[in-house]
Amino acid sequence: MRSIRLFLYGFPIGLLLLLGAAFLNASFLSVAKKNEMSIGTVGEASTLNPVQANDFHSGEALSLMFNGLIKYNQDLEIVGDLATSWDLSQETTLQFASEEDAANALAFFTNGISVQPPPPARPINGVFKKGKEVIITLKQPGLKESEDIFNALLASGCHPLPFPAIEPGSKERPFKAEPIIRFNLREGVRWHDGAPFTSADVAFTYRAIMDDKVASPRRSDFELVSSVATPDLHTVVVRYKKPFSPALLSWMGSILPEHILGKLDPSKWPVSYNRSPVGTGPFKFGSWKTNEFIRLVKNPDYFLGAPWLDSVVFRVLPDPLTLQLAFQTKQVDFWDVDPWAVKSMEKNPKFALFSSAGGMYLYMGWNLQRPLFQDLRIRQAVAKAVNIPQMIRCILYGRGIQSTGIFTPKMWFFNPSVKAIPYDPAAARALLDEAGWKMGRDGIRVKDGKRLSFTVITKNGDEIRRDIATLLQDDLKQVGIEVKVEIYEWSVLLSRFIGKRDFEAIVMGWALGNDYDQYAIWHSSQTHPEELNFIGYSNPKADRLLMELRQEYSRQEIIRIAGELQQTIYNDQPDLFLFVPESTSVMWKGAYRLRHPGQKSGEWIDSPIRMTKAGWGYDMEWFYRPEYPPTNPATQTIP
Amino acid sequence: MSNDSKITPSTPTGRILRRFHADPLARISVLIIVLFALFAGGTALLSSFNLNWPFDPNITNLEQKLEPPSSHHWLGTDNLGRDVLSRMLHGSSISLTVGLIAVFVSLTIGIVVGAAAGFFGGITDQILMRSVDALLCFPTFFLILTAVALLGPSLLNIVVVIGLVSWTGTARLVRAEFLTLRETEYVKGARVLGQKSWTIITRHILPNAAAPILVTAVLGIPDAILSEAGLSFLGFGVQPPQATWGNIIADGKTYLLDAWWLIMFPGLAILIASLSFYLAGDALREAAESRN
Amino acid sequence: MTSFILRRLALSVVLLFIISIISFFIVTLTPGSPYPWGELNPKISAEVKANFRKKFHLDRPLPEQYAFIMKDLFKGDLRSIKDDRPVMGKIMERLPATLALNFTAILISLSFGTLLGVYAARNAGRWQDIVCSFVAFLFIALPGFWISYLIAIILVKGFGVPILGTHSYGIAFPNHLAAYLDTIWHLLVPATILALGGIASQSRYLRATMIGTIREDYIRTARAKGLPEETVLYKHALRNSVRPLVTGIGLLLPALISGSVIIESIFAYPGMGRLGYEAVLERDYPTLVALNFVVAALVLLGNLLSDILYAAVDPRVRLE
Repeated sequence: MRSIRLFLYGFPIGLLLLLGAAFLNASFLSVAKKNEMSIGTVGEASTLNPVQANDFHSGEALSLMFNGLIKYNQDLEIVGDLATSWDLSQETTLQFASEEDAANALAFFTNGISVQPPPPARPINGVFKKGKEVIITLKQPGLKESEDIFNALLASGCHPLPFPAIEPGSKERPFKAEPIIRFNLREGVRWHDGAPFTSADVAFTYRAIMDDKVASPRRSDFELVSSVATPDLHTVVVRYKKPFSPALLSWMGSILPEHILGKLDPSKWPVSYNRSPVGTGPFKFGSWKTNEFIRLVKNPDYFLGAPWLDSVVFRVLPDPLTLQLAFQTKQVDFWDVDPWAVKSMEKNPKFALFSSAGGMYLYMGWNLQRPLFQDLRIRQAVAKAVNIPQMIRCILYGRGIQSTGIFTPKMWFFNPSVKAIPYDPAAARALLDEAGWKMGRDGIRVKDGKRLSFTVITKNGDEIRRDIATLLQDDLKQVGIEVKVEIYEWSVLLSRFIGKRDFEAIVMGWALGNDYDQYAIWHSSQTHPEELNFIGYSNPKADRLLMELRQEYSRQEIIRIAGELQQTIYNDQPDLFLFVPESTSVMWKGAYRLRHPGQKSGEWIDSPIRMTKAGWGYDMEWFYRPEYPPTNPATQTIP
Repeated sequence: MSNDSKITPSTPTGRILRRFHADPLARISVLIIVLFALFAGGTALLSSFNLNWPFDPNITNLEQKLEPPSSHHWLGTDNLGRDVLSRMLHGSSISLTVGLIAVFVSLTIGIVVGAAAGFFGGITDQILMRSVDALLCFPTFFLILTAVALLGPSLLNIVVVIGLVSWTGTARLVRAEFLTLRETEYVKGARVLGQKSWTIITRHILPNAAAPILVTAVLGIPDAILSEAGLSFLGFGVQPPQATWGNIIADGKTYLLDAWWLIMFPGLAILIASLSFYLAGDALREAAESRN
Repeated sequence: MTSFILRRLALSVVLLFIISIISFFIVTLTPGSPYPWGELNPKISAEVKANFRKKFHLDRPLPEQYAFIMKDLFKGDLRSIKDDRPVMGKIMERLPATLALNFTAILISLSFGTLLGVYAARNAGRWQDIVCSFVAFLFIALPGFWISYLIAIILVKGFGVPILGTHSYGIAFPNHLAAYLDTIWHLLVPATILALGGIASQSRYLRATMIGTIREDYIRTARAKGLPEETVLYKHALRNSVRPLVTGIGLLLPALISGSVIIESIFAYPGMGRLGYEAVLERDYPTLVALNFVVAALVLLGNLLSDILYAAVDPRVRLE
């Protein structure tokens, strides 16, 4: 019995001692830190294949491991990444009934060029005849450029024959206009496993994206590619079926290694390559423990030079509170600050904050198929009755601005002259009265026996959307509209309400990067069950502008058309456009500094982490910890 | 009538109550439960008459967000300026409702299933008990989620579902009681006399099994309250702007490091309420069992 | 005995399939369908979505889907909808952490629970007993997330000690022992919180049965024979009280692989709880069916073991 007693008391005491020893151990060791960056995230990457991943967390890790052909620099200008230079041109092809007609047309062009100085609208590179076709190479892609040529030709008396349509159901084309992008690739780049990077990788990436078995979410960007040619190891020529200006931006996407994935059937990718990818970026894959962390280690052979950090680890901390706790105790190095905490952190000199106008906006979408919401006055009344500035003050603690439509101020094509609808409950009441809705006995308006009441739905787990719904409820009650709020799981929302268009109003958000092409969301044709115009918006003017945007290559023109589109849609109020939250990140001041390459080779600029148009983590690969200073000396130091 | 407390009460119920009363912990917990019921009932009563309670739980006051406890707001305000004390009082009535309805549902099903299994025995018993085992194989949370998605996220649905997934313990207990009581003399006698099963069950067996069933009921209330709090915490609780204790914590979760009152008070309330019911239930069980 | 086992096994297999069919239908009939692309994204074309559905047989009638999933499960190639990885692989990944957590929690609850229970039984009726009761019920009444947050905040903010995750990151440990102790520390805190309920129930149970057996005749006889109090208490009472525990071992199997979503989320411990929870939210049908199958199999196996052990331990029980 003594042994039983010993065991009975001994075991728990032993456990307590172990607990104590470990406690002391852990607290004692919080001093020695490695040269590693810790990033805490609530969610986890789903797959580390840049062509198959679509979620935000995968993107974070992938951006350090892979490169695209081009990228944005800190001023949001397009610069080369794996490509050192590129040029755009366009081949306009006209076909004729006979070779004689073609020869006449050719003559018109060659004479035309020598007779008059070519007008700026059609900078022509060259013309030649091939059988019954005449092919003109333009310096600039764009529909208008080809149209000018076509019209000039018609005026001269030649009559080219039309080409068949590209997509079944659309019109015949009077001419073929095929934009061409030619990339010159950087030499001497190696994959993480040592193999050389060549144009074959680019061609393979395109084929993979278009492969059904790969199921790439990026596929729609490349639907209009007609061919990807690789004349030599460091040149890629991409030809498109018709002018499509977002095409260039699609090459910011990461390139896959052909020598590994070319031999591997896509069904095996999820278990092999996607769990330990090979890229060309500043960091290479280290290890991945599911739902715990992903560790990347430095790539000493990176083509711009080895990064200063030894490793970067992405830690999964599913609970937002413990994530915050981890940041406060320096277990992770950055934190996305909740709006309510921004003010107190700003005042605290120990923190460095980086704020930028957000890239997403929140809205309440109306189901425009419901008769009640088809009355513009109702939608306008609601827009005037909801106190959006107050929402911003209270939910976002002032960190945000009212949205004026489908674009956010961060975008270079944003139209700042669109005026936000001011808060005016009196005007709202007047509009409702005018629309025939009289105040009822219980404080809710009535018309033809029906009460002015609707249900707003939104997804669960999101405090901002929940608070928006609650405040909306209050505000609209003041003008006699009853609002019920229902919160559902995301997957239920998607399949049951959005998928079947079975809702009245829904609070959602759009986060669209720098993409001016919003055809998929606003065009009247995009209302089928899987498509994104689930509110049912239809305006022929908007449709036309959306199409024009897709075909316009000139930056100025894009700004003009996008501006008009923004104003048009805002006037229509298909959504109640709410606000654009500011996003703020925080770092312990001095925890990291930046030493990045300058314009000229050999130049290294040392500066604190700073905010740029492209964000503050834009060049995260060049961060360093002051305890582990970089070996390349700084040619310029900013304090 | 003598006031001598040493005289044992004559009825079994009386004896049980006497033993219950003797336990100091039981007395405190009953006091707390009574207080809880008073707050809950009182708030429900007042709000049903739309009386002008000093603070409406749903009035948002956006100028007074996230204020710590003060003389104006005894328990502080939440992120939309709503008074935490009022929300907690209304939450108390909801918590009590949750407990009572969930227990009612689980008791009903549990008694029916357990009685059938224990009384009829044989194949009925086997089938029912295997089904009980099978039910344990389904993850409870998922069943709740499914039901909420199918039926809608109202408080009633959530509570009914909590009851639906927690009847197995009662069923087992009732079955055990019935198995024992079935063999007693008076039941056998009633059978011989030709009384119908229904009469035997309701008139003879159930009353004798009443004490353990009551104990299970009392112990089931805090389980339901804790389940609701857990569900709200995960984001699957009742809709805004209704206030339940779990909801207040879930809503206040993001601000916790700065606004400790949002989690401290509701958490303590859940703790104290659950603890009281557990202690009371346990004391009741002790009192009921110690007559052997 | 052998025929009994064989019959039960056969019955269990049948039951297992019935359970998996029912759970499959519950899972697929819930509103909401799988959508592995996160937020709404204009770039994902209808074709990609259609191909995705075809690949996971989501466009087929439900019985066919079930057949596909079962076939793949037994072939060993059942893929998760979320990331197209083999489901059994995902389950096996989480198993070590979950086993460690649960095993430790069971150890803690058994040891501290027994201690508390014996102490309470020894002092039955006195104030020590009342305090033990109070503490036990306090443990059960604590809302899990509440106490987890409190402990996390106190330890991390108050003492500056890392407890989140399975180990400390970014620290260069001087030797293996230090790293090992670090892992143990990270394990012990969530395991203790998981064990709180177990400590309470174990102590209450032990107290009740010990008080019960103390009253039994053979104990009185042992006392009458003049054996020292210690012997009576510990040897006879404890041994007899522990007997029902042995038969409860059968229920341990499913308990070992179950997980608590809340504790795993708060302490960032990767376990089965989070796997199941995320699978539910994402409507990852293959993962859910597989998980359910495994859990159900373990429950039935555990029940069988329980019954066998019970018969082995208590000669009064006969198995039909």
